[in-house]
Amino acid sequence: MFKTNNVTSRIFERQIRTPAPGTSVHSARRFYENLVPSFTIYDVECPDHSFFKFTDDGQYFVCFSRNRQDLIVYRPTWLSFSCKGEDCDNNQELPPQAKRFESFFTQLYVKPLASCNELICKDFFLYMESNQFGIFATSTAQIQDARGTDGAILGVPSFEKITIHLFRLEDGFKLDEKVFHNDCVNLTHNMGAFLYDDLLAVVSLRYQTIHILQIRDSGNLVDVRAIGAYCREDDELFINSSSQLAGNRGDLVDNGTNHDQPNSNNSFLSGIKQRLLSFIFREIWSEETDQTQRVQCLKKKFYFHFQDYVDLVILKASRNTDQLPAFFAVYNMETTEIVAFYQNAADELYLLFERFCDHFHATSINSMYMNFISSHSNNIHALEQLKSMKNKATSISQFVKKMLSSLPLNCQSMSPSPYFDQSLFRFDEKLISATDRPRQSTDHPIRFNSRRQGDILKFKIKTGPEFGSADGRSKKYSHFLFHPVWPLALSFIQPSLFLPPSAVNIHFRR
Amino acid sequence: MMGSMLGDLPSFDPHNFSQLRPSDPSNPSKVVPTTYRPTHSRTSPPPDQVITTEAKNILIRNFYQRAEEKLRPKRAATEHPTPEHGCKQPRASTT
Repeated sequence: MFKTNNVTSRIFERQIRTPAPGTSVHSARRFYENLVPSFTIYDVECPDHSFFKFTDDGQYFVCFSRNRQDLIVYRPTWLSFSCKGEDCDNNQELPPQAKRFESFFTQLYVKPLASCNELICKDFFLYMESNQFGIFATSTAQIQDARGTDGAILGVPSFEKITIHLFRLEDGFKLDEKVFHNDCVNLTHNMGAFLYDDLLAVVSLRYQTIHILQIRDSGNLVDVRAIGAYCREDDELFINSSSQLAGNRGDLVDNGTNHDQPNSNNSFLSGIKQRLLSFIFREIWSEETDQTQRVQCLKKKFYFHFQDYVDLVILKASRNTDQLPAFFAVYNMETTEIVAFYQNAADELYLLFERFCDHFHATSINSMYMNFISSHSNNIHALEQLKSMKNKATSISQFVKKMLSSLPLNCQSMSPSPYFDQSLFRFDEKLISATDRPRQSTDHPIRFNSRRQGDILKFKIKTGPEFGSADGRSKKYSHFLFHPVWPLALSFIQPSLFLPPSAVNIHFRR
Repeated sequence: MMGSMLGDLPSFDPHNFSQLRPSDPSNPSKVVPTTYRPTHSRTSPPPDQVITTEAKNILIRNFYQRAEEKLRPKRAATEHPTPEHGCKQPRASTT
């Protein structure tokens, strides 16, 4: 759309030229080529909090206290300062009063989140943009030697109390909570939960149940469904009311390994497993009738995908699935049918992943920016990178397995910042990317080159003055938080993954 | 031959372009465009056709499609003792 690179003439062009149909957002995003966070304030004095995340609309900056008990929320602002003297505009240095954390962030409130014996799960946060609600989690410590209780499976750790909190971020008012007792929910990086519009799905690993909760506008968390033992809401009623089944119902109690025979003599398999088994059975039956016995030995954990609320729920199995075969299942919540079932190294599933990766993100219609996050399904450069990785892989099946192990994709795990848009910028994905994780940091600055303007350097993110002196050998980790809309980013340098950052830098457009 | 900028492009209705006046007034020939008419109606849309957007997204559609393909019963030897082709019969054991 733009014929020049100069921001002023682009603004004039924008007045007279209409972008091609359906590309108005893409055209607007090209202004990010002109406004880049090229100025860095190094080693900013900031409060000793655990800085976590910007909300996806850029309104709030969520942090937790170092002791993981309190929630602290800031409002991102922009710095303003006054300068006295003759040559203010050309002054390279910012006045010292501007170079502070508080110039960019205004504290809104500090609220206690976890009670005395609980800790905040510092990798878990979901944001509901329409109401500006935030979802946090706290949990007590892991119970050693957890006993199997009614319905719980063994081999999964147990926590006495896991609480999901719903907060109104505007003022930090706690709206509601949902407690899971003696349970285990995988909360790292939002793995065990998924938010879609106003529905929140939480996987209870111990009880092998998916809890669907609705977040009402009033701020109430309402139980909608619990898929696991029973698939439909009235299943339990039906089973309970059948007198001959009264003594016999129960869930399958597995131990941690696959076994060849289910305990069918004294309990029913859980409703969802029945659906899965019957699906697999029908699939195998339609191929050949020989191996129906094989069906029985597959199940332990399975994946569900959360799409729209007439269709499935995808959640993750917990630990590493290197030894155990892992599977991916698609379940229709409304018809309570399993639609698809794949082993995690299935080529067919990989093909769908390659072509329709965006749909695995299950973005709701309300968050428009989610449609513009670069993935290998919507961006040719990302796809080329994926293909070159595939060509370089020594074993295709290992490559496929590695790619598919990221399914189902974690909710709200990618930054919507346009600086990660692969059609605008080229950057080294090993050093920085839209999924924010601490990575080994490099002494060299991270370059963001332009995709469209002949690969010229647009800006650099440097995490510190080039060290190479005293602690040149020691590895450091860096991680980055980009504001979703503004040319503003924070970088954190950690000497180790378990220690708080030793330096915080602010990168912004001066 | 139409002397206008339209050249000799065809039309489906010979009465089209009857209002067209040739640019050269000294050549007042009545222009009738070459008429092409479809010889069949195989490609015309059904009269009650309504085009809507598919509610399910493409990934879900794929899952359902593949599920349907897989679950469509295929021929299994043990399931259908009677042969598909009438000309072949299983050999009956003698005595």
